[in-house]
Amino acid sequence: MESPKTEDDRLQMFFDGELAPEEEAAVRRDLEGSPEGAAQLHEWEQLRQAMKGVSTDWAANVDSDALFARIESEINAPVVPIERPKQEQPVLRVVPGGRERRVWGGVATGFAAAAAIFLAVMAWPESHLDPAPAARGSEVVEVDFGSNTGTIFEVEGGAGESLAVIWIDDEEVGLP
Amino acid sequence: MSLIRHLLVIAILFGASVSSGASAQSNSLARSDRASTTSSVPAEVLVVLAKEEPGDIDPQLKKLTALRRPPFNSFRSMKILSRPKLKLTPGKDALVSLPNGRRMKLTLLRVMPDGRYKVKAAINRPNKSDYLPLLQVVASAGDPFFVAGQTYQGGTLVVGVIVDPKKTAQ
Repeated sequence: MESPKTEDDRLQMFFDGELAPEEEAAVRRDLEGSPEGAAQLHEWEQLRQAMKGVSTDWAANVDSDALFARIESEINAPVVPIERPKQEQPVLRVVPGGRERRVWGGVATGFAAAAAIFLAVMAWPESHLDPAPAARGSEVVEVDFGSNTGTIFEVEGGAGESLAVIWIDDEEVGLP
Repeated sequence: MSLIRHLLVIAILFGASVSSGASAQSNSLARSDRASTTSSVPAEVLVVLAKEEPGDIDPQLKKLTALRRPPFNSFRSMKILSRPKLKLTPGKDALVSLPNGRRMKLTLLRVMPDGRYKVKAAINRPNKSDYLPLLQVVASAGDPFFVAGQTYQGGTLVVGVIVDPKKTAQ
């Protein structure tokens, strides 16, 4: 049993005349053996005739010899450089004063805007640029007690700040 | 002619803004590191003799509440022996004589970006390094740091150093 696709392919090859004579005869018998097949065969024959007719009519209207002759003549034609018409240099003319002022006015406005932006950036309060809060108190960064012993304390100041106290033990030193 | 005048005014305004901007920038730089531009900073050294025996507390010390807190709270009497004022110049040593014969050497190292002062201190006898060879402290304006522990006349010396005493941090 053949699949529908295979059947379609067979029918396509039948109408294209690509089947072997025995197979073509068998397909034709099958189609003519049933009313539906006969109707389909008739329909396809009509379609093929119509396409053939259209193709013949189109080919009759085209003078292929003349078309190819024209293409060939245009290919072989010498190359002619295209000369563009010379454009005359525009004559310098005096710009009206109002227009000149507009141009300079635009430049001046741009210049003033740049200056204003520059001024605004530079005059911005430094507190915005330096948000670090002011530190309070005192703290030890480095200490060398030498041969003595010592202790570092942190004492709270009057405003709550931390104050550094370096306490070093020693013996009383007399005046030199 | 009015156009030229107009442009001239703009140029002058722009020049002024540039110069003020440069000034603002230099101020910012000065704030970030004033060590190279600061000529000198005032400082005050408070030399106090503290004893455990009951006695008087110098009235000038009453505002220094830190001296009533540990490790100072064991002292019952405090007397100001000297209160020298000096100027700290970056890179230059300032000397303060202490009553026990030692000298305190103070050097302003730099002004920190946050406005605090980095100070180097040492306390020794002349040409000796027997007590406090090196101490580096960062202190804000008006806030003291203390070096204590030297025994003297039956008491203890408490040395307070205040950089820029008339200026208090914000």
